[in-house]
Amino acid sequence: MIIAQLDLRLANDLAELEPLVRALEFFAEASALPEKVAHRLTLAVDEFVNNAVDYGYADRRAGEITVSVRHRGEEVEVVLADDGDAFDPFTAPAPDLTSSIEERRIGGLGVHLVRTLAARFAYRREDGCNVVTLAFTLDG
Amino acid sequence: MQIDRFVEKDVVITAVRGRLDSSTSPKLDEFMAVIPDGSSALLLDFAELTYISSAGLRVVLKAAKLAKGSGVTLAICGLIPPVHEVFDVSGFSTLIPIHPTRDAALAILA
Repeated sequence: MIIAQLDLRLANDLAELEPLVRALEFFAEASALPEKVAHRLTLAVDEFVNNAVDYGYADRRAGEITVSVRHRGEEVEVVLADDGDAFDPFTAPAPDLTSSIEERRIGGLGVHLVRTLAARFAYRREDGCNVVTLAFTLDG
Repeated sequence: MQIDRFVEKDVVITAVRGRLDSSTSPKLDEFMAVIPDGSSALLLDFAELTYISSAGLRVVLKAAKLAKGSGVTLAICGLIPPVHEVFDVSGFSTLIPIHPTRDAALAILA
């Protein structure tokens, strides 16, 4: 069986991550995604949902995040949308990747990992939502 | 996630199984906060680690900083290819020694 598409709707709550990861693992297995592609896909969704929940709702209002994963030709495309405060994650400064252990800053790697591992990425603000589109090539 | 600890020839081995993400990494962080007395080196055995996110990397860097400050070597072994990729892209591969297996690591550390 091949599952071509997965659409999930979650609350802006980190407790949603565990069932989300299980759904992604199921999708990856059912679509026979290569190990590296499955890891990249889960990493992307994990990092962006964590960031949206942690920083997107400063006033602690209830919000909604949607995750759509589509198997399209030679790519897996992910669209993440959240109704949090407007924020383009790709404007974050590049992290320090070369200094010594003592000087290396802790944190700030999530977006860097995802944008480096993705074949393409884009951000748009649409109807009060942050919409991030990412694509991963199937050949890893 | 499951964490097991062994000591072999003064090398403290911490073996992590499962996923290292924002929900599980605080447990490893707690585990790595204290360096046992008499340790000559610390080895994180990730052979059965199936997933790591930036939250996991954060704990690994913190542990590496603590080890460095205490004059103890910290090394990693057994990364599966998708996890190794995350270490490469984060620039950690050049920061922390990574060995293919526990035996290969012990041959150098012990």
